[in-house]
Amino acid sequence: MSVGEIQVAIKSDQDIVSARQKGRLMASEMGFSSGDATLIATAISELARNIVSYAHKGQITLKMVNGTNRQGISVIATDNGPGIPDIRQALRDGFSTSGSLGLGLPGVRRLMDEFEITSQPGRGTTVAVKKWRQ
Amino acid sequence: MKIAIRRKAKPRAGIEDEYRTSLREYVAGGGEPALGRAYELGRRALTEQKSLVEMASLHHQAVLSLVCGTESEKRREKLLRSSGEFFAECLSPYEMAHRGFQDAVKALRQLNETLEEEIKRIAYAVHDEAGQLLVAVHLALAEVTPELPEPQQVQVARIKELLNQVEKHLRRYSHELRPTILDDLGWIPAIRFLAEGISKRAALPIHIDASVSERLPGAIETTLYRIVQEALTNAVKHAKAGNVWIRAWRENLLLCCSIRDDGGGFDSCQAQARAGRKGLGLIAMQERVTSIGGTLRIESRPGQGTELSIRLPLEGDHANSHRTRG
Repeated sequence: MSVGEIQVAIKSDQDIVSARQKGRLMASEMGFSSGDATLIATAISELARNIVSYAHKGQITLKMVNGTNRQGISVIATDNGPGIPDIRQALRDGFSTSGSLGLGLPGVRRLMDEFEITSQPGRGTTVAVKKWRQ
Repeated sequence: MKIAIRRKAKPRAGIEDEYRTSLREYVAGGGEPALGRAYELGRRALTEQKSLVEMASLHHQAVLSLVCGTESEKRREKLLRSSGEFFAECLSPYEMAHRGFQDAVKALRQLNETLEEEIKRIAYAVHDEAGQLLVAVHLALAEVTPELPEPQQVQVARIKELLNQVEKHLRRYSHELRPTILDDLGWIPAIRFLAEGISKRAALPIHIDASVSERLPGAIETTLYRIVQEALTNAVKHAKAGNVWIRAWRENLLLCCSIRDDGGGFDSCQAQARAGRKGLGLIAMQERVTSIGGTLRIESRPGQGTELSIRLPLEGDHANSHRTRG
């Protein structure tokens, strides 16, 4: 684990709160506005929620990242759950109840600047997102 | 955008109480767990279709009840600051949804533009390419006809007559798809042309009463034409109407157009409710009218026909063009 990297095990709703708190703290220490910190906490919530609902356990890794001229925060959610058979469908609005309101994975994608997802059925899912400081 | 039908959602009881309780906890130092609840409350409110305005008023009431019992100014200031943080957290699911809707509107707008391009392409293909092929067929027939015995020549003449009809129909369809009249003479003549064709084909009397004649910017005329076209298609295909009335008139700086039929109608509430899945026609119509700054109202009830009303404010350039051109 490198400096500035935090891992939070996700098993329950309390863990979601803990991941939110650490993400928010890291974001505000990095100089993100409180509005952006709120959006980052929201993205963390959605990702952690997915872990609890579908994989039951997993982890969230928070990291400071450096771009060419900017700094950002990276949030990686990993689990060894059932995986997503059709990623494109999962990213489409309206796929799930929450998705029809733009929540869930499609919502996370819109809150963050970068979004990457890999998933293998039966092996698990990794969602990696980044937000750059404005 | 004005929609005649409003979905009424019954919120599960208790969201107000929970909001007040969690806000009080956060203000008293509840930290991240309380903020987490704010976010969950916002998520729940969104799925229960609580409007943003309702949320703002709910928040305001909760803050008022907290502030009223607080004497110290310093404490009040701290309380207001934390309340703001709590409220922002609660609204973050709305932010997600808002961005989603923005993306959806953008996609729909692009889809409309793509469709318009596609229609132009098809109209061209039908008119020019198919037309040229027909000319080639005519020439080939003309070449073989003199060598044929008399009875076959009569048959060929009949074939030529049929080909002429095909050509006429193709030209008609092509013009209806993307009428040159629309660019040359404007949307009202284009609608008259379209109505005439549909009226004949579907044996459906279409009554037009238009007291406007001014030209409007191309994008607006195209949109008005497409809405009327879609409404007429619906009247023929789904409503099984016996009559259609199209009216276009001005009310001061407002351009009004209504398309009414006496067909089967539909439950507009249901149509709106399932709009996410099936009613792309209605949504696309709404979006098109919105994109030119107008409103579209759809009124329909089973057995009582359907009426579409478009209202479009004519400001600045449009209004002036009316004055200068009469």
